[in-house]
Amino acid sequence: MAEARKKCLTGIRGLDTILNGGIPVGNTVLISGSAGTGKTTLSIEFLVHGAIMGEKGLYISVTEDSGKLVENLITYDFFSRENIQKDIIFIDIPEIYEKLGLNKLQFNIEDINLLIENIIKIVKEFNIKRVVIDSITSICYRLETEEKIMEFILRLGKALQEFGATTLMISELLPFAKGYSQYGVEEAIADGIILMGNYERRGDLLRTLRVIKMRGTAHSRATYVLELTSIGIMLVPLLKNGGE
Amino acid sequence: MNYDEFLIKLKSITDPESFSVIFNITSFFEGIKDLLNAFTKEKNLSVIYISSTIPSKNIISLLEVYGLDLNNIYFVDTISSIMMASEYNNPNILYVESPTMLETIMIKTEYIMEKYIKGDVAIIIDSINTLAVHNDTKILSEFFHLFATLIRSKNAFFIILSIRDQNTQEIKNIMSIVSDEIIEVD
Repeated sequence: MAEARKKCLTGIRGLDTILNGGIPVGNTVLISGSAGTGKTTLSIEFLVHGAIMGEKGLYISVTEDSGKLVENLITYDFFSRENIQKDIIFIDIPEIYEKLGLNKLQFNIEDINLLIENIIKIVKEFNIKRVVIDSITSICYRLETEEKIMEFILRLGKALQEFGATTLMISELLPFAKGYSQYGVEEAIADGIILMGNYERRGDLLRTLRVIKMRGTAHSRATYVLELTSIGIMLVPLLKNGGE
Repeated sequence: MNYDEFLIKLKSITDPESFSVIFNITSFFEGIKDLLNAFTKEKNLSVIYISSTIPSKNIISLLEVYGLDLNNIYFVDTISSIMMASEYNNPNILYVESPTMLETIMIKTEYIMEKYIKGDVAIIIDSINTLAVHNDTKILSEFFHLFATLIRSKNAFFIILSIRDQNTQEIKNIMSIVSDEIIEVD
């Protein structure tokens, strides 16, 4: 029997059970969903639990100023806003672009390599074990072709895996999009996909979560209803007789 | 059983179990008061009261008249929001947008258990009849089965309230599936 892979406990109530013990260490996981489905909150909670367990986290913000993001975050009973900013490294990617002279709309292969090198440099320097990229969709926007997107995600994922870092890449979807990523390439390369959605039932809008795939672990593929609370994300199974 | 026998029965319940209580409409509110009194005062438990019949604010007013200590009673109120009456601010009340949001009822209950309650707890659902007005029987059966199982796993009491005249055969079936005992009060 193959040896079970070491797991990275997300610490999120119910999710580690769904994932049969957590995300296999080193996996690159897409957190896909449309606006307001809880992608950012889930990703931050993943980093917060890591910080509590002594694992350094890195949050790479592509579209939003990280200071503003933290201000708008839910207040946790178990981790203060100040600690979030103290124990997790937040980087606004426009600052990296600026530093590297990448202030252009489209990146070539050299630019991609430069960007990956810099992210890895930070991961190495601070011994980062958990990474969140919010969002991969915004980075892909500058990569122009499917080949370059593939190259970027594959290389970055591999490099992060070598350092034992588990990565969540937020993938923004349009509300009624089919598939799990905007360019279609991301979902094929990622080791895992967690789909977050809004499910409308008789006029009620429920937040949902489903693990579509996760390499290296058995997992549930059922749909769960999710609530964002001050004690963290809470999940219960979606009642099936409500129709889907 | 008559009402006095019901009061004796309440005293005799000691271990966490799942049971349904069928009241006449005339004894319903007195029944609620005595149930809450039995669990909070006599058994010294916390109670999570899931209200879908009348807003929690009105239940609180009623219980205050009876002089009940409300400190250990938490409410998951599923009816005030759809009546646009959820502005009443009380730290012991959590509002659910609608009685059709059954999963949210489970989550809010679990949230209260984890965040506020240290010792033993009883969950009281008022009532299966009003939840049946807002939900079809299939999803309601699934909800009660899942919810009762979840609460049992936490070693808590799970109590379903119902009103005799409003009980359909389907409602009776749900109660018999999820309850260890059905108590009928004359």
